[in-house]
Amino acid sequence: MSKILLASCMFIAMAAPSFGSEIIVALNADIRSNNPGVNRDGNTDGVIRHIVEGLVGPTDNGEIKPLLAERFETSEDGLTYTFTLRDGVKFHNGSPLTADDVVWTFKRYLDPATKWSCLSDFNGTKKTKIESVEAKDTKTVVIKINSPSGAFLGSLSRPECGYSGILSKASINADGTFAQPIGTGPFRWGEWKKSEYITLTKFDDYVSPANDGKPDGLVGSKRPLVDRVKLMIIPDGATVKAGLESGVLQASDIPPSLIPEYRNHPTLQLIVAPNNGKNLFYMQTKDKVLSNPAVRRAMAAALDLDELVAAASNGTGSASASIIASHSAYFSEVQKKRIPYDPGAAKKELEDAGYKGEPITIIANKRGDVPSFPAAVIAQAMMQQVGLNVQIEVLDYATQVERRRAGNYQVISQSVAPRFDPVFAYSFYVGDKSKDPSLMWDDPKAIELMNAAYVERDETKRQAIFDEFHELMLREMPGIFLYDMVDVWGATKKLKGLPVWQSNPRLWEVSIED
Amino acid sequence: MLRFILNRLLMALPTIAFVSVTVFALIRFIPGDPAALMLGDGAEPHQIAAMRTELGLDQSMPQQFLIWAGNVLQGDFGRSIVNDEAVLPLVVSRFMVSAEIVVVAVLLASLIAVPAGVIAAWRQNSLMDLALVGTATVLLSIPTFWLGLLLLLLFGLKLGWLPVLGYVSLADNVIGGMLYLVLPIMTLVIHEAGVLIRMARASTLEVLRLDYITHARAKGLSEGAVLWRHAFKNAFGPTWTMIGLILGNLLGGIAVIETVFTIPGLGRLMVDSIFARDYPVIQGCLLLVSLSYVLVNLVVDLLYPLFDPRVVAE
Repeated sequence: MSKILLASCMFIAMAAPSFGSEIIVALNADIRSNNPGVNRDGNTDGVIRHIVEGLVGPTDNGEIKPLLAERFETSEDGLTYTFTLRDGVKFHNGSPLTADDVVWTFKRYLDPATKWSCLSDFNGTKKTKIESVEAKDTKTVVIKINSPSGAFLGSLSRPECGYSGILSKASINADGTFAQPIGTGPFRWGEWKKSEYITLTKFDDYVSPANDGKPDGLVGSKRPLVDRVKLMIIPDGATVKAGLESGVLQASDIPPSLIPEYRNHPTLQLIVAPNNGKNLFYMQTKDKVLSNPAVRRAMAAALDLDELVAAASNGTGSASASIIASHSAYFSEVQKKRIPYDPGAAKKELEDAGYKGEPITIIANKRGDVPSFPAAVIAQAMMQQVGLNVQIEVLDYATQVERRRAGNYQVISQSVAPRFDPVFAYSFYVGDKSKDPSLMWDDPKAIELMNAAYVERDETKRQAIFDEFHELMLREMPGIFLYDMVDVWGATKKLKGLPVWQSNPRLWEVSIED
Repeated sequence: MLRFILNRLLMALPTIAFVSVTVFALIRFIPGDPAALMLGDGAEPHQIAAMRTELGLDQSMPQQFLIWAGNVLQGDFGRSIVNDEAVLPLVVSRFMVSAEIVVVAVLLASLIAVPAGVIAAWRQNSLMDLALVGTATVLLSIPTFWLGLLLLLLFGLKLGWLPVLGYVSLADNVIGGMLYLVLPIMTLVIHEAGVLIRMARASTLEVLRLDYITHARAKGLSEGAVLWRHAFKNAFGPTWTMIGLILGNLLGGIAVIETVFTIPGLGRLMVDSIFARDYPVIQGCLLLVSLSYVLVNLVVDLLYPLFDPRVVAE
């Protein structure tokens, strides 16, 4: 029997095409499309970033640096951005990148028929409107906007915008439909077997942007070091582990609960990487009980944040009460401040607030890759110690999203995807609740600071705004920020390089040892 | 016979209509907005409202149902909310993947379990009976996801005989495809064989107690002839019905098996679609499942007279 099976395996191996070096990585769910920034989710963006590149991109600490551009300049009034393209950049079909391609790409994105996810960020629906995109010459592009913005470049490089990736016109069929992404990234689009796998192939003519020899966010050194990347759709964590142990898979995200199994494994390595995303308790400031900031502060003071984070993250996270990610360039000393763990003070705040044991419900979900439920359970135990009557309601994720969007909650234990610029994080939580009930905080001063940060381009002044915002947040405590999300991955020890960045694979500068 | 088939198919129509209405309504009563899920956590209310309009979700539920039912009657099952794929080819292609596993598994389980059950009944209270019944009870008590993982670890990881994960379509590579199907089929065979052994044993025991079996033995017929020519044919009816029910159930989704073995079948599609609130795909899946259930049971009923001539289709 075993001989027959082994012979069959050999037959398959002989029949299978050879790809040279290959990395096989697991994705927990299929992508939605291969159309950058159009029909998308996190996994889609994670694949797309290997194929397309924008004019600019974020570094690890959230700074925006040139990517397809060699450099960019901003006019005095902040309304005109001039990008000079890098020499020698080619699309995957061999044609050189020109300013006309950039103009064509933006024209396509700004056409409502494209259904670009970020259209409302750039067509004047929100604050910014792109007035024009013009080619000054073959390697110079000029983009004019309607009002100064400190977040314009950051906005361009957001994952949900498909990184505003520049595409070749050949990406579009003759009938105007999208064919496949032909970009300038380190890997070309290969094959997509829906619900099975996606393949990307090495782009031999790829040239990295200016770098110091290391990968850095979406910029830095971006060499494709393997001939092919295969992203297999594997929803089950146990199957992933079997795949890694058998050598079929080389890397995958893993549930934090499995960390001990990977830590001292003879053939597998544990990879823990920082992530700009946030784990927090989202609070309903309009709720009868929670409308009193003293109750919210008491809840925060009841939490031994270091202990909570250590337990909820299996020792991988570090407590941080700031909206801004710990490794961001804007994470100043002020951002490190938090309400100290003080059960006595919490009890006093509750007494002064007239809290009489009214029930407070934390909504949580049990998705394996987020600490929503364990964080809620630990917080419940800690809050009960100071007399808070806390209950937990477990919902599936879709229901939780609907409850948050409707404002129908008291507290939600939630993880929020990475955002590079602090103002994008602020805009997720802050604003007019009467217009958007999903928002957490509608304090006029907070809204004013957020709007100021949108406009301000001077980094020192932005830092001052962010610090003032944090101080205000600690006083009002509209939500309890616990810690930055952490990417927890397992990989074979033969894998060299960091295969993950901001929740998704980043497979340039990653190789497999023979 | 033709009239019987037509009658059964006509009788299935109200069932399918009932399933359609129920599924359509129930999935919409579950909280969770597909537009909000699709656009992600940063979407603003006006974007969600626009998406709801585009997907037709802003219309009343009866209106949505009438539009959907009208389109289905014309062969248009709609498009997936998640990835804009046409639902009918998507659901049919996934159904075929599940069907090739399920049909082979049920066939193999039947070939193993029915003789085992008959032998257990023939040797009632013997060591063999005890062993077979005990094994069957253990097999049907093991959850399939756990059994699947154990087989995966043994044959995939420890012995390295079979692929641990992935899927190759039989249409692309027959031998390679079969290797990927061995473990999911084995899991289902082991589990379903347990059910069928018990069923075959119980029904055979009942028949073996009847007078005509005693009469056959008294005539001097060999035990083999008594067992297979006289007892088995009459005892197989209930087991055959059970085989039909198992087949219908499994065709309705083997999501757990498909998840463990990374098989892109109908069950996984259905589970993914429920999490994403992809209404058209959920409706398409369940409509196909109910149709297949009806057809499988029709075939079972039509073949029943072959085993038990007392049952006439008319």
